[in-house]
This record gives sequence, structure tokens and C-alpha cells, in this order.
Amino acid sequence: MNRNVVITGIGILSSIGIGKENFWDVLFKGKTGFKEITLFDTSALNVHIAGEISDFDPVAFLGKKGLRTLDRSTRLINSAAKLAIEDANLQITEENAHLTGVSIGTTFGSLHSISQFDREGLIEGPKYVNPSHFPNTVINSPASQVSIRFTIKGFNTTISTGFCASLDAVSYAADFIKLNRADVVLAGGVEELCEETFLGFHNLGCLSGFDGSEPLCCPFDARRNGVILSEGAAVLILEDEEHALRRGASIMAKISGYGNSFDPSPPFNSPLGKGGYRGVEEFIVDGKGLRNAITLALQDASLHPENIDYISASANSTKVLDRMETNVIKEVFGNHAYNIPVSSIKSMVGESFSASGALAIVAAIGAMQRGIVLPTVNYTEKDPECDLDYVPNTARQKHINNVLIISSDPYGNNAAIILGKHDA
Amino acid sequence: MLNNHRVVITGLGVISSIGIGWEEFWDNLLKGKSGISPVTSFDTTNHITHNGGEVKNFKPEEFIPEEKIKLLNRSSQLAFAAAKLAIEDAYLSQENYPSPLPLPQGEGARGRVGICIGTTTGSIQAIEHINDRIISNKEIGKELISQLPPHTTPSTIAREFDLNGPNFMFSTACAAGNYAIGYGFDLIRSKRADVIIAGGSDPFSRISFTGFNQFSVSAPEKCQPFDKNRKGMMVAEGAGILVLELLEIAIRRNAPIYAEISGYGLSCDAEHMTQPSVDGISECMIKAMREAKIETEDVDYICAHGTGTTSNDKTECAAIKEVFGPLYKKMPVSSIKSMLGHPMGAASALEAIACALAVKNDIIPPTINYETPDPECDIDCVPNKSRQHPVNIALNNSYAFGGNNACLVVKKFIE
Repeated sequence: MNRNVVITGIGILSSIGIGKENFWDVLFKGKTGFKEITLFDTSALNVHIAGEISDFDPVAFLGKKGLRTLDRSTRLINSAAKLAIEDANLQITEENAHLTGVSIGTTFGSLHSISQFDREGLIEGPKYVNPSHFPNTVINSPASQVSIRFTIKGFNTTISTGFCASLDAVSYAADFIKLNRADVVLAGGVEELCEETFLGFHNLGCLSGFDGSEPLCCPFDARRNGVILSEGAAVLILEDEEHALRRGASIMAKISGYGNSFDPSPPFNSPLGKGGYRGVEEFIVDGKGLRNAITLALQDASLHPENIDYISASANSTKVLDRMETNVIKEVFGNHAYNIPVSSIKSMVGESFSASGALAIVAAIGAMQRGIVLPTVNYTEKDPECDLDYVPNTARQKHINNVLIISSDPYGNNAAIILGKHDA
Repeated sequence: MLNNHRVVITGLGVISSIGIGWEEFWDNLLKGKSGISPVTSFDTTNHITHNGGEVKNFKPEEFIPEEKIKLLNRSSQLAFAAAKLAIEDAYLSQENYPSPLPLPQGEGARGRVGICIGTTTGSIQAIEHINDRIISNKEIGKELISQLPPHTTPSTIAREFDLNGPNFMFSTACAAGNYAIGYGFDLIRSKRADVIIAGGSDPFSRISFTGFNQFSVSAPEKCQPFDKNRKGMMVAEGAGILVLELLEIAIRRNAPIYAEISGYGLSCDAEHMTQPSVDGISECMIKAMREAKIETEDVDYICAHGTGTTSNDKTECAAIKEVFGPLYKKMPVSSIKSMLGHPMGAASALEAIACALAVKNDIIPPTINYETPDPECDIDCVPNKSRQHPVNIALNNSYAFGGNNACLVVKKFIE
């Protein structure tokens, strides 16, 4: 007997709002979360804008106890977990703790902690490094702290697959429910905004505004020239459908299918093929991996392309990704591609890297619940190569039964998840 | 989703402090050779201890196309080399083999071959190199920055061998290898892949070395798991990669079969970031056995996490006692970390390889450096000498920071 996986709770912290209702309200209004960075000094850099969560007070969510040694990623994901558990009205008890798990996507969530720990050793000498910071140097520390704080004992997994990490974490969590290893999983993703990650994207030339121009996040628009980096954390309560019904939980959506496929096409044109790194824009990806991932997700969900009512895109305002995504949607959906609204919430929340997929899932649930397709904002100039319906600038009413959410990573990873309306 | 598809191990690739290639690794495991030596990766003058388990004689150019070497961090280099050895060992692509499984080639290939890698620190050496350059006011090149994401490891390997299938990177610290192998097993069982290249890798890291020293859990000279006078663990590096394959395909192409994977279990202590828990470890072993549909009396060998720290070994032994009851005294439990040191995310993958070879050959590798019994660790730790012993089923234990526990069940392959 196959188990169905549903979503019964949401916790989210993003640059445009904390909590699902705030997040949805701002998305439907088409507002952006970009502002001057306050977390670190950017005076020596060309870009000073990001999607920072400026009003984040961890004490308000987690209290003072046990907070001192937790880094920002850990505080964000724990706060998201708390909101999600409350939203799902979930009681984690001694009895069900062993059938509850945690699955989090993050890639650079601990980068700042790791770098600082090393720098302390270099500057002060290795014998003077504070050992209490060492546990923060493992990449699974944010997820593990969620298990510790909320006493979740079933399993605890961290997946680091770049842009795809939180979609991968959600599909992994769904697998664990289907395999009877858990009834409930807290699944999602987190990335903090820190100087190391920002400097990395900056020095690779991936950030819009790197050339001294005004930073601009405008997915699919002809003017797009790079990402605006952001931070975020989102946790979804994934649950076996029967389990959710039994405890009278309110079911927000079901996970209908997912696919994961790698795109090995970069070797021919990419830095790793030719030697010498020339920037992420040089990755020429033909889209085979993304095409496979979407096709596998449709098969897994037993849906046809025409059943998809809305596509939440991975497009992050870079030349290559937005165009590749457009091409792949056309290949998979044929003429129907022009009838499906395709939008990128990154136009509002920015590129939150490994958290982006989880943020997109939260957005898609809001779109299904309210019957509104989210806009792609900052859209003014049409790119002839990107000619789909991107829902420019204004949200639109539409009944949505099935949403396709996609993530594509420049290193070749691709993930796709299809969410459906429960009992649709 | 659950079905009867069986998953077997058809290729092994090892890069370790005691040998490159599984043959040398296995030979040295059985001889009880130690891979511990003075650290050369960085200057340890200002550190408390000076020994570690570095991989000696690793020449990346023997495995990796030259133009790519400088673009790969050490973790990726080690994993790349181990993956190449494993793929060759499984005859996945050799033309001279009677019926190799052709790796997916080019456009339209079915994505039936995927990769799952586990790591603790992943690209940590790139972070260290960047810090060195920041401290000395040197420019940070794009090549270095592009090595930062941990998933450069599976993506580089997938690109080199044209693997279109699922591609995952597990950052679940020192249990990561088992997580990756476990999920690879899931992907094949659920028919989302036919073959998964699975394992773990970690480089020798200054950050880990500093951290474990500051935690006062690093042994100064040697690693002595289960010994009363054990002084701690030994930071090491390495990569272990296994080729996991759907049984029917392995049989069809007449692949070498080392062993079968019959289940695994995960658990989380949910207590403390660094202190292991008897309950968490016990639960993990119980779940693994339940999934593999075996009982405690079916287990012939436990490949211990056995780091050599006071608290790990004592806790692990207590958990084994709790799960195995009166059987525990007869159960051979050895720690190959006594020889390898602790190669972090690669540890459980290398230990899974040792389990595969133990069930294939009915020999158990020893716990070396064992001198004085500890009443709190009164297990049979296969002291100092390998042992001929029928091994039909081996459990591979691994625990990690964050209380992330994983236990894999490796079984003798019988058709």
C-alpha cells in the first residue's frame, strides 16, 4: 500500500516577511525585499544590496536559553521549525519522536562559522581557539540543532546540492515517509547571508551590480545581468496522509511527484572542461538534466504536461539559467508551454541559494490556496529568447490544481517537484 | 514503493592512509598495519598533537585529467580517484569486459546511473586556502571560489563519467558515507536508478585537526579503540566509493558481486551536538536489523564506529550490550579506525568496504594497538590480529556530530 505525502505546516523567514501569511501577502503585492546590507561591511565591494532578513529577532522565537553558541543559519532554521510545528499543530512526544525526522538542504549554511573558526586559529594560534565554536563547523549543525531543540529522533539529514538542496531535501523526506521510516518529517532549507558567501558570489561576478551599475533582479527580462543574493529559511511539515487525517490536521497540499537528474553536458564548454574558471555564466547547459527531472516528476505524479497549471521557476536573473529554463519548459510542454503561467519569486525574494526551493514551495502553496498566480516583478523589457507568460509585475487570479517547482544548479544538479491541491 | 528489488555491491574504490585500491587496503587491514604518521599537510608546531592519518603517495595525475586537477579541492580529488577505481573494479565501462554496463553516453541517454556522496567537511581545504590568502592579503582566484560548494565532488565525478541519474551530496558529518550508501540503496530499490556510485570522502583538514585537539579528544601517537588507556581519535582523510547495483542487472552483465546490502537504519540522539547516546545508537542498529529482516543472532560481525575516544567507545559498547544482550560477548566487534585513523565522512564508506570484503572472504580485520582491557568495553574487539570467521552478516556502525547515527547491513551474497 503506497503512502501519500501531504504538507500540514509551514514555517518561513525571508527577506520579504516572516510567517506564511506575511510572506504570501508581500508576494501577491509584488514587493521586493532588497535593501542595504547591515550584517557585514560591504564598503570594499561593488555591490551593497541583498535580501537580508533585517527584522529577525531569534529570542522572540526561541527564547534566550541555548541561543548563545548558535550561528545565524541555525537560529533561522530553528525559528522556521518552530513556526512550522505550531502551524501544523504538531505535538512531538516521546512516543512519536522516533517516527519524526528532519531533512534540511543547505550548502553554505555553516560557511561563516567554518571560516571564522579557522581564522581564529590562524590569528590567535590553534591552542587559543574556542572549542565551543567547533560543533558549528559541521554542515549538519543547523539541522541537528532542530532535532535537539524539538527532540526529533527518527533521523536527521542534511543535503548540500546547491540551488537544488531544499527540493532534494523535500523529496528525500517524502521518500522516508513512503518507505515507512517516518510519519512526519520537518523538511526545508536554510542559507544565511554572510560575508564569505557574498564575497564568493561577488568575486565570481555573479551578482547584479558587480560592474558598478544599479543592482537589478529581473528574471526573464532582457536586462537581466546577475543575481541579488538573499537569505532565508523555510520548514514544511511533511506527513503521511493517513496520519494527518487521523490527527485532524489541516492539509495544505500534497506532494504528487518528484524527479532528480544530473546534467553532465557542461564538460564540453565549462570551466572544468577547458581549464580555467571564467564565471558561472560560462556554464553552457543544454538542459538535458532539467528536462529529465521534470519528465520524471510528471511520470511520478502520473500527470500529463497539460495538467500543470502553474510553474514556479528557478530563474534568478542570470542570462543562461533563465533562457535554459525557458527552452526546457517549451521542450517538455510543447505548445502548451505558452498557456502556463511561469513566474520566479526570486524577482522578489532574491537568490537564497539552498533555501530557494523551500521558499518556492511555500509560495506555491499560497498560490494554490488563494487561487492566485504569483508575479515576476521588475519585468519591463522582453527578451526574444524568453517568450513565455511570466506573469509580469502583477499577480493574477487562476484556479491552480497542480504546480511544478523547479531548481537548477550551475554545477549540473536539477530537481523538480509537483505539488497538488489536496482532494483536487 | 517498497519492493523486492535486491541491491548488490559490484565495485570498490579506496583511497586511504593504509593503501590505494581495495587490494592494498584489505591486505593492510588484515596485516594490522597502521596508517598514522606525522602530519605533513600543514605545520603542527603550535598544535597539541602532531600525528594523523594522511593518504601517502596519492598522485592525482594518475586518476584525474591534468587540466582538471587544479580545479578540484582535495576532497573531490580523493573521491574522483576512488570513484574511478570503483567504476573500473565493477567493469562498468571497460570494453574488454564480456558485458559491461555501458555508462550513459550523450544525448537521450537514460539517467540510470547516479551518485550519492557523503562528507563532513567537503570543500574545507578551499576555505582554508581562502583564509590563508585573506590573512596574507593575497587575491582569491575564481578557481578557488568555484571549489567551495561541497557538491562539486559528486558533480565533477558525474560529469567525468557522464552520469545522468540522481545526484546527491550528504553533509551528515562522520556518518555521511553510510547516509549516502543508504540512500543509493533506496534509489535503486525504488527503481529510480540501476546503479549508484556511493560513498564518502574527506580531506585532511586543519580545521578538524584544530577542533578535535581543542576538544581534547585527539590521541597524541596512536589510536587505541576499546583499550583502557585509549587517548582519543586520530584525524585522517580518505575516500571510499562503492558501486551499488540492481541485482538483476549485475547478474545479466556477469558483474563481480562482493556482497549484498539488505537494509539500513538512521536515528538521531536529539540530545547533544557532540556526546553520543546509548539510546540513539541502539535504536539505529535495531532499525537497520528490522529493515533487513534479521535478528540479533544473525549478525556475525560489527564494524564499529570505534573512534578511540573515551566516550564514544564506552557508549558504543553499552549500546551493543543493550541490543545484543547475552550475545554481545561472542560478537566480534572491531574498529578499523585503529589503523586508518578517522577519515570523517569517508569513514563509514571505507568501513562498508571492509564489511563487504569481510563477508566475501570470511575474515574479520582486527582492532590494533589493543593492550589493556577496559571493563566498560568488555566486547571481543578482535585484538591485534585478523581472524578467520564465518561472516554472513555484518553491521556497519557510524555516528556523527549532531547525534546523526547510521547503521548499514551488509550481507553475504547468495543467489
